[in-house]
Amino acid sequence: MAQDSLLSDELLRHLMAVGQVDILVGVPTLDNASTIGGVVRAVHQAFATYFPRDRAVLVNSDGGSRDGTPGLVKDYSLDEAGTVTVSHSLRTMHRISAPYHGLPGKGSALRQILTAADLVQARAVAVLDADVASVTPERVAALIRPVKDHQFDYVAPVYARHPLDGPLVTQLVRPLIRGAYGWQVREPLAAEFGCSGRFLSHCLEQDIWESDVAKYGIDLWVTGAALSAGFRCCEAPLGPRVTTAAHARLGFQDVFQQVVGAAFLVLEQHAPYWLPRQQSEPLALVGTPTSEAGEPPTVDASRLTQTFCSDLQNLQSVLEPILSANTLSRLNAIAEGDCGQLRYPDDLWVRTVWEFLAAFHRGVMRRDHITQALIPLYLGRTGSFLIQYAQAAPADVEAALEAVGLEFERSKPSLVECWNQASPR
Amino acid sequence: MAQMIADAVSQAGANFVESVALFLPRVVTTISIIAVGWLIAILLRTVVRFVLRWVRFNAAAERLGVASILKSAELPPADSVVAAIVFWLVWIGFLLSGIDVLGFTGLQGLLSGFAGFVPRLLVAIAILVIGFVAANFAWRATLLAAVNARIPSPRLLSGAARWLILILAGAMALEQIAVARTIVLTAFAIAFGALMLAVAIAFGLGGRGIAKRILEHQFPEQERSGADEISHL
Repeated sequence: MAQDSLLSDELLRHLMAVGQVDILVGVPTLDNASTIGGVVRAVHQAFATYFPRDRAVLVNSDGGSRDGTPGLVKDYSLDEAGTVTVSHSLRTMHRISAPYHGLPGKGSALRQILTAADLVQARAVAVLDADVASVTPERVAALIRPVKDHQFDYVAPVYARHPLDGPLVTQLVRPLIRGAYGWQVREPLAAEFGCSGRFLSHCLEQDIWESDVAKYGIDLWVTGAALSAGFRCCEAPLGPRVTTAAHARLGFQDVFQQVVGAAFLVLEQHAPYWLPRQQSEPLALVGTPTSEAGEPPTVDASRLTQTFCSDLQNLQSVLEPILSANTLSRLNAIAEGDCGQLRYPDDLWVRTVWEFLAAFHRGVMRRDHITQALIPLYLGRTGSFLIQYAQAAPADVEAALEAVGLEFERSKPSLVECWNQASPR
Repeated sequence: MAQMIADAVSQAGANFVESVALFLPRVVTTISIIAVGWLIAILLRTVVRFVLRWVRFNAAAERLGVASILKSAELPPADSVVAAIVFWLVWIGFLLSGIDVLGFTGLQGLLSGFAGFVPRLLVAIAILVIGFVAANFAWRATLLAAVNARIPSPRLLSGAARWLILILAGAMALEQIAVARTIVLTAFAIAFGALMLAVAIAFGLGGRGIAKRILEHQFPEQERSGADEISHL
């Protein structure tokens, strides 16, 4: 689509006034009044401290905030950020806020930011998550430097957190991406990333911006697009990630369905790339990781496994067309034991995920029903893992997660066979 | 006297021979129509099955949940069922045409009656198919939503949703083909009303506790998710 139809006249006028830039930092927002001030301050301090000689601009793309977020971006006083910012700056610090047009969702916001970056020919772009309260100038610089100084095209973040935290990432999305794409990305769902002008042009050329992927899974799609199109990718440690309450806008079920649905859609889209790939490689790490591991989650894991046992019985007839008879009978066997001490083995979990992915591809039923049916099984697996490793040292948990990733790689041929037999929807 | 009897018998014989001579070609025509109709019906069945397989009709039936219903009823795959319906409709049409040629007074008008019945039958079949698909969709959607929302007795709830839609579709289909219209309508109204009343009474009296738990479970969702202690992302 032409740039002028994506960017409003006002935004175009602002961008033309700014002219060509070296660095563009984009911040998609929706009701982020509580955190946006800290983000703007961190970005300007990063410009002044780490990139004083570069032409830089901050672009905020807002999804219709009702709490005055765009106004806070425009009116934020740099004096409040301290005299260091102003005194170190060698260039004018530009800041633009504009509402995005098109489908509601982060995809449209990101498209506007990337289009703006393309127009001003930015060499390096960083996209930040306005829900994160722990944005610092160092984090902003960590996303930009690998692109600017090391010619990487895509920079994925690495967060310092306990390995038991974020099980939807560690148990499902991370090993799934590793097993399929053959690249080890720690945070494939991260809303923060850095990228080059070359990569953003590639993204803008893709025909996904009006689809459900853009609406619900744009972060994962960006990761997949970078991995599958042969761009130079790396990871950058950003330290701990502290989010605000606004982050939890959706309930768990909605989040799960959006994440897993988007992951399966993205995998389907990139199938020609990943089907022939074998094993996996780690991404280069640019920066020094911190040793902070964070606190382990305190959760009653047996409640999750009890849920799994009862739900498995109720969902037998829904699971029959999705899972193979062998996998379903093994699941029934583990559910017949002591549900409070349930053990959901790695190989069975991996088979479960692969078979759900193949069923999604075959379209054995409505796709949202398939992702909904995976929820109880995911809770069972998460509960089982938490029971097993609740008292373990972080290094042991990391080793267990590595084993899950390897199991996804090892069993990939069975998915490929299943996938090739399947008739797509 | 004897001559008269002989003449009468001779006349009767002549009449019989004449009748047979007139009727035999009709029988041959009837047999020909039925045989040709049978061949055409078989040909159409083969063509329909081929076209349905080409457009992956069975995969669509699987997605819509029709295949599992057919399987549980020990019926053949969806494409074979549709092909069989086409076969029988065409062949019965030819069969009635053939019988019509015989000219039996009691069987006159069968063909026109059948011709008028076929469209209603097709509409009834369409209503049943749509009913099956809708019932299956409602069953699965209710079951998944109830299971994930931790609502008690999800299978009972989803089964009730499925059967309500199936009964409704069945009643509409029977109404369409005008089978015992009054009885069907009355029976359906009484059964449906009784069912709803029973559900209301059971839920109101016996299920107050369950309703209370469901409502308590549903409404403070934000507070519970905040206290869920685990961040899945």
